[in-house]
Amino acid sequence: MQRSEMSSVAELKERHMAATETLTSLRQRLRERRLQLLDTDVATYARAQGKSPVSFGPTDLVCCRILQGHTGKVYSLDWTPEKNRIVSASQDGRLIVWNALTSQKTHAIKLPCAWVMTCAFSPTGQSVACGGLDSMCSIFNLSTPLEKDGNLPVSRTLSGHKGYVSTCQYVPDDDTHLITGSGDQACVLWDITTGLRTSVFGGEFQSGKTADVLSVSINGSNSRMFVSGSCDATARLWDTRVASRAVRTFYGHEGDVNSVKFFPDGNRFGTGSDDGTCRLFDIRTGHQLQVYSPQQQLQNGGNNNPNPDVTSIAFSISGRLLFASYSNGDCFVWDTLLAEVVLNLGTLQNSHESRVSCLGLAADGSALCTGSWDTSLKIWAFGGHRTVI
Amino acid sequence: MDSNTDLPYSFAVEYSGPPISHRSLPRALPIDISKIPVAAVVPVSRNSSKLLSSMPVVQPIVVSKLLGCNDTIVSPNSVISFNADKNCIGNGTGNGTGAETETTVSPGFEEQSSGEFSDMVNNRDGVGLGGRGESSGTLGFSDSFDKSREFSGNSLAFRACKESLDLNQQDWVSNGSGLSLSFEYPSSRVSSLKTGDCKDEPSFDRKNRLIGFGDIESETESFVDDIDIDVNINININININQGQPEAARVKKEPGVKTKKGVCYRCNKGNRFTEKEVCIVCNAKYCVNCVLRAMGSMPEGRKCVACIGYSIDESKRGNLGKCSRMLKRLLNNLEVRQVMKAEKLCAVNQLPPEYVCVNRKPLCHDELAILQSCPNPPKKLKPGNYWYDKVSGLWGKEGEKPSKIISPHLNVGAPIMPNASNGNTGVFINGREITKVELRMLQLSGVQCAGNPHFWVNDDGSYQEEGQKNTRGYIWGKAGTKLVCAVLSLPVPSKQVYPTGEQFSNTLGQSVPDYFDQIAPRKLLLVGCSGSGTSTIYKQAKILYKEIPFTDEERESIKFIIQSNFYSYLGILLEGCERFEDEALNNTGNQVSENDETVYSIPPRLKTFSDWLLKTMVAGNLEDIFTAATREYAPVVEELWNHPAMQATYKRRNELETLPSVSSYFLEQAAKILSTDYTPSDVDILYAEHVTSSNGLSTVDFSFPLSLDENNDKSEQHNSPRFQLIRVQARGFGENCKWLDMFEDVRVVIFCISLSDFDQYAVDANGNLVNKMLLNKKFFTSIVTHPTYEQMEFLLILNKFDVFEDQLERVPLTCCDWFSDFRPVVSRNSQNKNISSNNINHSPSMGQMASHYVAVKFKKLYASLTDRKLYVSVVKGLDPNSVDQTLKYAKEILEWDEEKPNFNFNEYTIYSSDSGSDS
Repeated sequence: MQRSEMSSVAELKERHMAATETLTSLRQRLRERRLQLLDTDVATYARAQGKSPVSFGPTDLVCCRILQGHTGKVYSLDWTPEKNRIVSASQDGRLIVWNALTSQKTHAIKLPCAWVMTCAFSPTGQSVACGGLDSMCSIFNLSTPLEKDGNLPVSRTLSGHKGYVSTCQYVPDDDTHLITGSGDQACVLWDITTGLRTSVFGGEFQSGKTADVLSVSINGSNSRMFVSGSCDATARLWDTRVASRAVRTFYGHEGDVNSVKFFPDGNRFGTGSDDGTCRLFDIRTGHQLQVYSPQQQLQNGGNNNPNPDVTSIAFSISGRLLFASYSNGDCFVWDTLLAEVVLNLGTLQNSHESRVSCLGLAADGSALCTGSWDTSLKIWAFGGHRTVI
Repeated sequence: MDSNTDLPYSFAVEYSGPPISHRSLPRALPIDISKIPVAAVVPVSRNSSKLLSSMPVVQPIVVSKLLGCNDTIVSPNSVISFNADKNCIGNGTGNGTGAETETTVSPGFEEQSSGEFSDMVNNRDGVGLGGRGESSGTLGFSDSFDKSREFSGNSLAFRACKESLDLNQQDWVSNGSGLSLSFEYPSSRVSSLKTGDCKDEPSFDRKNRLIGFGDIESETESFVDDIDIDVNINININININQGQPEAARVKKEPGVKTKKGVCYRCNKGNRFTEKEVCIVCNAKYCVNCVLRAMGSMPEGRKCVACIGYSIDESKRGNLGKCSRMLKRLLNNLEVRQVMKAEKLCAVNQLPPEYVCVNRKPLCHDELAILQSCPNPPKKLKPGNYWYDKVSGLWGKEGEKPSKIISPHLNVGAPIMPNASNGNTGVFINGREITKVELRMLQLSGVQCAGNPHFWVNDDGSYQEEGQKNTRGYIWGKAGTKLVCAVLSLPVPSKQVYPTGEQFSNTLGQSVPDYFDQIAPRKLLLVGCSGSGTSTIYKQAKILYKEIPFTDEERESIKFIIQSNFYSYLGILLEGCERFEDEALNNTGNQVSENDETVYSIPPRLKTFSDWLLKTMVAGNLEDIFTAATREYAPVVEELWNHPAMQATYKRRNELETLPSVSSYFLEQAAKILSTDYTPSDVDILYAEHVTSSNGLSTVDFSFPLSLDENNDKSEQHNSPRFQLIRVQARGFGENCKWLDMFEDVRVVIFCISLSDFDQYAVDANGNLVNKMLLNKKFFTSIVTHPTYEQMEFLLILNKFDVFEDQLERVPLTCCDWFSDFRPVVSRNSQNKNISSNNINHSPSMGQMASHYVAVKFKKLYASLTDRKLYVSVVKGLDPNSVDQTLKYAKEILEWDEEKPNFNFNEYTIYSSDSGSDS
């Protein structure tokens, strides 16, 4: 019996090749079929319904705080859900926790590994997590007393990834669980109290060829579902109870998916990619709903630079606005309904001087924070006088 | 006003040709625009009844705006004249090329200039003007004008170029319309500013266009001439910033607005009794409502937003880190702590080393670091001139008696001068003529001082006369001496360094490393595809340069790895064994031999074990059961390994592709490795796989052992430069290499390629089988062309030369497509010419020729991609010497790079210019 197995290696290889081919052809057919079914997109429909675009007054979104203090490129930021605090991670090897209202630092955490790529605030605001090229996710409890040398000790390290940790997010309303995405092509759900992996999503063994995970986003209304964006230009929807395979894979992008973010209603999610576009996908149908491509908007004709990469995205609370940051320092505010750019933060006063690497919306939606390679973070909010009702 | 136009010092000569339209200006773009903050608006001062002289305000333009106007036009009649020796930009040779005589003005300038306009300078002692970029909110620059409205003078004299800035007030007012009243004046290091006469707006516009940035967005036309002036200022600042020195912006700043005494500088409210916070740079005072807005997030402590990046007012050094009650009320404890920590520890707030002269020599960074981090440092070091007696540790202000005894033998400053403390007693201690007080002390403590002796005093207080051997006694030995010293307020050596020094070692222990982190270590990035031997080189570096390359715990875990590796090798062998058995059986074919016995058959007892082993390996949980397995199965494993069937398989190991070549090293010492008390040796670790790859990134800090040539280093550094070798694992980091831009501060990229890859194949991202050398080439190309590494030096390591040599005997190099034109016989001569081989007398071996050929291939590829030179080194990863040489080569590359007259890395210009003008 073993013998027959051994002798069939070549045959297996052949079958594998054939299966791969079938798979690609099926995928192609699926794509074609989807295209046929796709008779409209959000913008076309909204226009047909006579929706008018959002308009911004001059003081509707202004830079009202500049958070200075990092000495390296800012790579990631996250808001606390309830209080107005921000954690940011930078190449100077520090995590800084900011009070967004006073624009002061409350903690500056020196990291054991300076090459940090991501950070996250826990739902209760008690602790922060970060991950980077050290392939680990480190948890810092902010209330831990400082060590003698003035550093905050690491309260827990989650190790097990075989590649860099590119993204991490706490499971909403659960301080003990965290999802990371990694360069080893897998996402992992961690139990922080034990420091062990609860489940592994994707990776080399389970789901065939994929690529580095760059971003994850957990569904706000159903925290069992999350999406991951990866270097193979796809986004995958996962159910944390079913680790073996992705619920659905979303094709469409032509470059690495740098950022994914669930739409506030939890039935859609947005993506931002190296191909310069943002897209909106529906998780129930698997369809792509809309492409947000600056090329259609801005005719930078003759510019042989292709679209700048989308580095990060965020939705407003209502979902009507999509904030997307670009590698050239722009930061567009998209009208999600009409797919029009309504504002470019990059042209406003006090805009960033370099790639905007990350952005995030405060939990109550009142402010947007952007982090940039120019080492600063900026908070954008309504700048005029609001009539108090 | 007119008189100054023909001065020879002007850096730009007034344009006197026909008017030039904006549109027709030819473009000349020698400047990296994105790096140049562009000036903006000039606010007007107008509070005096006299004719106002008003100053342009520098407003750096935010880069993003600049990005928008990459096609900035520099008019031909305008010149941005840089110092020629800064070899930056000398664009237009147009009529405007005046020699800029002086670009850097540092604190010394103030003294001089204030002397010059002593009559017009108002009561403030600094002359600089505080600048606050209105729109950009970023760095302001200070200009060495005095902002006082009192200079009635239409003329502002500058030191080197006595030119007057003569501006008609009315025009400025009109120009400056729309400026906020709360302007502050920027000041800069530029002294050579020339603006001519500007009686009326148009003429100003035409004539004084020194530099025209044609289309700066968001600037109105009428501001253009202001910009013209200010660009010079900015550029100079920018040069310094480019040099990456925190001191670059060491410019005095003063708040721009002289408000009424006592009011808040921002809201102009309050009186002198309201509580206010003071900017530690410009002295601006803000009330409780304004301080957070004016100071922002205080990344460098209590500074106005515009003052960030400027060095502090030295008179406030004592207050660093001492928080006011007001701030404590405004912010919570954590925030206050962060602000104060930043204030104390951030680099720009540190004492500028060149402000401290020891024995008449301004210090450099390292010297100051030595001084401040020594066990017994001088207390509360302030800028000034000091003398330091290295032998005894005596320390004092120049011209004064000693004030403290600090740690001796610090390599700081110049040798002491005889008149350092301005003594006139004729008695010398360690070559310094002592003061009367000291002489009195010596006399009282019973030292014979008749006949003006010259003493040698050691740090322990023992003294001897010059030229004699015997110690005459201990100066501070007697109890009475200390009393005498106290009475005469002379220092005594502190016996217990720690009780007094604790505070210092606490604060400085943090601050010094933090602060000096910025100049060290130099980073070397080691990258390569998997299997290229980066880990071997990394391990070699550890073994070569670290005193304890691996700690006991590391060795313990490495032992575990080696043993589990051993099991996996065994597993591969077992698989192979089964395969060979099958083949053997098939070959024997139909003649069914007795019991299917072949040489590869394993006896049943071992068979069960091997099946179990294979099963667990397939399941992938070998590591889980492994710990238990070691002890229990070690004898069985040994027996299995020694069984003839396994040995026979092992003989055919060449046919087992998955068996790594290093496996034989471990398999052959099975007994030793499997024993429980096995401790891996350095060599074992070197050979072991997977020791470093568990993490994506590993770093080792090291410095090369001191050699002679390093002692001659120009900076007279005590310790040799530190290096950090960063090894990143290419596999698992994806083809897109998202992490590449994280290593922009790396100095040399060491790219590692295994020479033996030329006949190996691997599956690439698309699932195709590709020659590994071509994969290497692809990866190399992607890194070399990555924007982050555009200006970086590359060192290519052609690794595994030993394996390569063996391999060439079996496989021709031409089996790799890229190397298909390798003609060893034909190319021999040219190869020798290209690369001077050491053994020119011997005919080079095949391996040498082939490696040279590969090197040339890569060099050509690199040159075609970057137009620069690729450094190549052929290495045997397992040979310590060859790795040592290569890393030293990397160091040399770094040093060459530094010696290049390179703008960005020239660390010394700024020192010399600063100290030069300082004195």
